[in-house]
Amino acid sequence: MIKKNDLGRRRSFFLFSYKWRMVMPLLILMFVILAYPLAYSLWISFKNFSIVNPNQDHFVFLDQYKKIFVDSLYWTVFRNTIIFVIVAVSFELFFGMLIALSLKRQIRMTDVTRSIILAPMFITPIAVGLMFKFLLSQQLGFIPALLQSLGISINFFGTHTALITLAFIDVWQWTPFMVLMLLAGLESLPEEPFEAAYVDGASKWKTFWNITLPLMQPIIIVAVLIRALDGLKVFEYVYAITRGGPGNATETLQYHIYKLGFGYYRLSEASAVAWTVVIIIMIVIIAMLRGQMKGEKAR
Amino acid sequence: MIKKLFYFVLMLVLLAGCSTAKTQGTDGKVVLKLLMEQVPDSDIVKKMTKDFNKENPNIKIDIEMLSYDQIRDKLVSSFLAPKSSYDIIVVDNPWMYDFASAGYLEPLDKRIKNAKNYDFEDFSAPLRKIATVKGKVYGIPFYNYATGVIYRKDEFEQNNIAVPKTLDELQAAAKKLTKDNHYGIASQPQKGYKILEEWSNWLFAAGGEIQDNQGNIKLDSPEAREALSKYIETYKSSAPPNSSNWAFDEAMRSVSSGQSAMTLNYNWMLPTLNNKTGPAGDLAGKFDLAEVPGGKAALGAWYWSIPAKTTHKDEVWKFINWITSSKQEVNRVILGGAPVRNSAMDNPKVWEKGYGESYYKTLKNILEDAEPLAEGPNAEETIQVIGTELNAAVNGQKSVDQAIKDAAAKAKETLKK
Amino acid sequence: MRAYQKETNLHKTIRILFLFIVLIFILTPFLWVILSSFKTPAELSQPTSIVFSPVPDNWINVLTGNIPINFVNSLIVGFITVAVSLLVGLPAAYSISQFKTGGNTARFTILISEIVPSAVLVVPIFLVSYFFQINGTLIPVTIAHLTFVLPIVTWFLIGFFDSVPKSLEEQALIDGCGRFEAFRKIVLPQVLPGIGAASIFGFVLSWNDLFYALILGGEDTQTLPVAISSFDTFRGVQLGEMSVAILVSAIPTIILSFFIQKRLIKGMGGGAVKE
Repeated sequence: MIKKNDLGRRRSFFLFSYKWRMVMPLLILMFVILAYPLAYSLWISFKNFSIVNPNQDHFVFLDQYKKIFVDSLYWTVFRNTIIFVIVAVSFELFFGMLIALSLKRQIRMTDVTRSIILAPMFITPIAVGLMFKFLLSQQLGFIPALLQSLGISINFFGTHTALITLAFIDVWQWTPFMVLMLLAGLESLPEEPFEAAYVDGASKWKTFWNITLPLMQPIIIVAVLIRALDGLKVFEYVYAITRGGPGNATETLQYHIYKLGFGYYRLSEASAVAWTVVIIIMIVIIAMLRGQMKGEKAR
Repeated sequence: MIKKLFYFVLMLVLLAGCSTAKTQGTDGKVVLKLLMEQVPDSDIVKKMTKDFNKENPNIKIDIEMLSYDQIRDKLVSSFLAPKSSYDIIVVDNPWMYDFASAGYLEPLDKRIKNAKNYDFEDFSAPLRKIATVKGKVYGIPFYNYATGVIYRKDEFEQNNIAVPKTLDELQAAAKKLTKDNHYGIASQPQKGYKILEEWSNWLFAAGGEIQDNQGNIKLDSPEAREALSKYIETYKSSAPPNSSNWAFDEAMRSVSSGQSAMTLNYNWMLPTLNNKTGPAGDLAGKFDLAEVPGGKAALGAWYWSIPAKTTHKDEVWKFINWITSSKQEVNRVILGGAPVRNSAMDNPKVWEKGYGESYYKTLKNILEDAEPLAEGPNAEETIQVIGTELNAAVNGQKSVDQAIKDAAAKAKETLKK
Repeated sequence: MRAYQKETNLHKTIRILFLFIVLIFILTPFLWVILSSFKTPAELSQPTSIVFSPVPDNWINVLTGNIPINFVNSLIVGFITVAVSLLVGLPAAYSISQFKTGGNTARFTILISEIVPSAVLVVPIFLVSYFFQINGTLIPVTIAHLTFVLPIVTWFLIGFFDSVPKSLEEQALIDGCGRFEAFRKIVLPQVLPGIGAASIFGFVLSWNDLFYALILGGEDTQTLPVAISSFDTFRGVQLGEMSVAILVSAIPTIILSFFIQKRLIKGMGGGAVKE
């Protein structure tokens, strides 16, 4: 008879315990595909290497980072990316929740509606970008023409609108992901608390606020986290539509890094910018992790 | 299930592996790998390689066609590798100085000198100048994309407008042609390369310049401010509304659908527009090409170059020599390629089988006095930096004065990097 | 339907109207793309024209061109990426979930690699693939896709395993199964819907990637997104052919999603909620 405590701890003639042996393939593969690229990019971020200046390849330690932090463009780019992520993810969450709640109650034609609603996330983002570039183009696009017949004229890619337009393209494409996650969450909620609330005569709004949301909190956090991390890497829409314009209003981090590295050939600077992003996000995630652990302890 | 998965993966890996190994010719042929952009001019070259193979059965040409950003990214990453993945590459003019001075390109002077019946001076002079870096030639002109005024002949005649020779005439013409939902000029103020390419025509016409002969930035001038003010004025009064992120494609569609009467654009757009089965449909035949106001045009061009790290340099030169020879140039231009040799543009056979005498004569005039956007180190970045400031001014984020000042300062900084 | 789920007619009308509007928002771009795919170049410059005589030229050009090859390339890369992710991700996720291997740190560090900008990883991956003489093949593309698909798939799988009661494995062990056998025969079938959901999500991520495929792939090994982006040429966007390519890339996944969405939703709900 095997005791409960033995699980995952029993030593055999293998070097590692069972539980570590199960993780090994993942660790090895992650190490193989990520270790060298990461180390290389970190190493090169301490140098001043440029592809078109192969002779100038010195070790400058933190100079690249110092340069970045005083570069006003870097902070513009950073701000743009954060605004993009906040706008896109919050609207995705809002619409995602509305749609998921509506879909949950739907009885007829569920398969068709659900698969249509999920469809946008299955299109490659570059295609979505190019599609909206033309759909929204004044005179050439269908939507401005439609709006014009109603007497409305919007410049979707003007100074103050371009970034928001890009965020809403992201909303169009990725709200389905939110719907998917939230609907999955809603469908697996237990029934008892809702029946109890109904018996107590709680209003729908109160039920949603006091029961549904708290129960859904974990899945909301996961969905938002995944979308936010992905949103930080937005590239295709910028690349296809605005190229960072007007001015620098839609220049985002991923596009900026791409431009530095491949457009201007300055690999070191591009790597340094990338590492600042990695470090900042790691700090945010660790802070979240700590907050969560504290919350769990308090419970 | 895991076992099944494993076999499935193994099978797919093998499948992927099979389609990889085929770089070396097995039958003693030398295989030359060409990296080219996916454009009609490259399709024409692909067609012509059949003739090359008839004369040179031992050389096999393997053309890889990719999009613009893709070839740049691939070139940049392949320069880092110990051996070049390509034997022949095409180089856009802003890249020329950086690639050549970094030692990635093979100097061609000796080969040009030793080639028989190869008239290098026949290439239009501004094109030759771009290919010369620190006194050595690193590229042979492939095709040009110099700018001209593309306009609607019928509309100009109806409104009694002559082809504009000055900026003021251009502004007046654009204004006069704008009415209701019809616009005088399709602008292309997209951030970066595009706006600088269009606006530099205005700058040249106003008497300004981006760089002087020594390569110093001369942008901070009253002429530049005049040119930018006028450009923005015309964009606001005579271009389709909300078009501040437009680039080539949108402008072309606007003109071809009859929405706009004029555009400052690549000269080879004319044959496309006048093609009955092309994008202009019924409007085909109503377009014409003229020199830009002031006569000095923004110049762009592609070049054939040999990567320094390739083997088979002799075979590569054989191909470049063949495709750029006066004889093949005529064939290429007749097939629809954009000319680079004066002799081809003067050739009556080309006129007759190509797009007519007036097109090639205008083009020759355009090329004679044309200048690239930026030369020297970091040209690509310089163009992007200036183009960003110009675009900011068009969008009202900065005043004209501030934008010009910032553009000049940032361009100077970029040159020093 | 339970009593607490009842809704008034007004609510119902609003809900259906809302869903209807959402559907219109989602379908309009698709309809426009479908229309565009049947237009001639001249008609494409008149985007508001809805009545026109459709021509099949774009479809013929695209389907006889390279797009079918690109399609297969995308399929191969997607399948291998997902298969490898499952192969190494499943046991790891199981261990992290059931034995708390590495604790909370393990869960979150798995997501860290998700945030590394691809513009930085791509250069070293290119150089390594050059070193091994596999540049321009599908192998570096697949490896690059693994860098972001593997973590996300594993992350999802951890959630699914969390929902499997621990007693299941113990029961299997008592019944005389080996430990790995218990995992394979008893635990895995429990999370099958979850595996399906994670695989599809991983596949979509790989299917959609442009950046890595653009730089690491060669001409013969272009994936669909690369092919679609290359319709945006220096001489203008070939809108008609691009529309066909977009449809070709979207239709199979949409059809797939029609058949799997129920499982997908069930699968996602399996574990993620109880995370």
